[in-house]
Amino acid sequence: MSAIHLEHLAKRFGGFTALKAMDLRIEDGEFMALLGPSGCGKSTTMNMIAGMETPSEGRILFGDRDMAGVPMARRGVGFVFQNYAIFTHMTVRQNLSYGLRMTGRPKSEVERRTLDMAEFLQLTPLLDRRADRLSVNILQRVAIGRSAVMEPAIFLLDEPLSNVDAAFRAVMRTELKQLQRQFRQTMVYVTHDQLEAMTMADRIAVMDHGVLQQVGRPIDVYNDPANTFVAAFIGSPGMNLLRGRPVRTDRGLAVDLGVLGVTPPLAAPQARAAEQARGEVIYGFRPEQTTLAREGIASPVSFVERIGARSIVHLGDGPAVFKAVFENDVPAAVGDVVRVLPHADAVRLFDAQTGKAL
Amino acid sequence: MTRSPIFETFRYAAILIALAITLVPILWMASMAFKPIPEWQATGQNLTWIPKDPTLDNFRFIFGESSSNLIVALDRTAVQPIVASLLASVLGTLIAMTAGTAAAYGLSRYGSGQNLPLALLQLRLFPPMAVMIPVMIMWAFLGFMDTWWGLALIYGIVTLPFAFWLMKTFFDDMPREIEEAAMVEGCSRWRVFTRITLPMMRAPLASAALFVFILNWSDYLIALLLTTREWVTIPVYMASLSSSMTGQLYGAKAALGLIAAVPPVILGILIQRHLVRGLTFGALKQ
Repeated sequence: MSAIHLEHLAKRFGGFTALKAMDLRIEDGEFMALLGPSGCGKSTTMNMIAGMETPSEGRILFGDRDMAGVPMARRGVGFVFQNYAIFTHMTVRQNLSYGLRMTGRPKSEVERRTLDMAEFLQLTPLLDRRADRLSVNILQRVAIGRSAVMEPAIFLLDEPLSNVDAAFRAVMRTELKQLQRQFRQTMVYVTHDQLEAMTMADRIAVMDHGVLQQVGRPIDVYNDPANTFVAAFIGSPGMNLLRGRPVRTDRGLAVDLGVLGVTPPLAAPQARAAEQARGEVIYGFRPEQTTLAREGIASPVSFVERIGARSIVHLGDGPAVFKAVFENDVPAAVGDVVRVLPHADAVRLFDAQTGKAL
Repeated sequence: MTRSPIFETFRYAAILIALAITLVPILWMASMAFKPIPEWQATGQNLTWIPKDPTLDNFRFIFGESSSNLIVALDRTAVQPIVASLLASVLGTLIAMTAGTAAAYGLSRYGSGQNLPLALLQLRLFPPMAVMIPVMIMWAFLGFMDTWWGLALIYGIVTLPFAFWLMKTFFDDMPREIEEAAMVEGCSRWRVFTRITLPMMRAPLASAALFVFILNWSDYLIALLLTTREWVTIPVYMASLSSSMTGQLYGAKAALGLIAAVPPVILGILIQRHLVRGLTFGALKQ
């Protein structure tokens, strides 16, 4: 079985704690993305799963097998590195077949599997080219192929697409997903690019400062972030987070946003959440889930960012800034005051002290 | 891009001057090697640049054939010094490269702290003479004086720091991920080193080995102190090419110098491809 179970996993480098007591269960055949900014502990976690680092605390189980003391060569994992780690003194064919030859498979099998993998990754015409003369896009394809050809039950990818160009990244996202569908490996994919995580992963584990923040399906993490970090990190732009105080109005519970005024009343679930709040709350809503409406939050436009398909309108000044995404024909120019209304059911409230979702 | 004629003129002038400074002494030596005695002994007014009457007399002379014009007899020919130089330099280079590469790899991958790498340089911290006299005493005690292996051993020791530091820089630059990738796929540490690391290091290895070989090949001081008669090397032997009657035997020295230039040139040509690759090492983008 190739489920991966991390139990209370921690890693310290001298006085620096890279990972704090992480518990995570990755199911057999699941595509799990470890997502977070640089230095959040995602690569450390990955290196411990692969066996390149020894955990300071906790256990790693593949199925029921404790991996403590099992050298990386015998863990049966495939690993793709950010910088490809291609053997440049060999041809593409030699690179692809390396692992198979190392484990002493019969010649015919090595040949067949190498050719199949080359075909799958469209590397067939390049098989006899030396690896040091290839473009970075091709190199990463070779690196993926070299690991995939071993058909590992567990496939670990450490930011494999961060060095390749944008167009190729889009192609590879699809190909990696197909690869996983075909071979049904358990995939762990480390990335700081939320687009990669959102598009490919079955579930996302969001990390920050060595702490696991939230695990869930991409859409759930997007819709219901567990805390303000996840809310701001996921989404492009991230969720708007405004400080406020729950107040009772004649139409029900609303949030007083200070200089921005009082929000429209909260919908029933959000109102119930606001009831639990003691003191200040963080009023969150997605820039995409807004409309222009007369009863909305009034705010001056400071900047209009045209990203092609949509326009991101930057609003407010000082501490009360937020963004809203509209169609390109939005009647908002710098200096105008517009009234933006978050969709009632898209509003999320967080505890102002802990940052946790209410 | 078009450059102005003035710029081009200066460019070529600069190149010519640089070439002249480096090449003229070498060409002078090459010319001298083929001159008969009257020409290389000439002073002042009848200086010749190109031998008027080219001869191989100088070469015959150092290999022991008596020359019609030179009434000097050598007590030893150049054969054994050439053999001594080759044996000591090649073996010394092998020792330095083997030990240096192994140490560099170990310290690059597992080393911590800076003291050990720096300690390797301690032999270089003193004036060579100050170090060589104690070495001479040790070598005498061990019975290594005037032997080619004794010389090879000290060459290996003296050039080890160069081999080590060059190789360590290259190993430090090589991404560890390449080795980790091979290990994930079932390679042992040793196998990774011999099958992945060393082959990828071919270019740096070749450049470092050439550098170390040239250091050994051109040594004069160590050989002067540690050899006396039997296993003197080319530079030491060359210094002895003089006689009381004729003074310095410039023609013979030039001929020997020309011969001494051959091995480094051949090695350089053989590994030229690697030298270029050694400079552009790092085909992997970080």
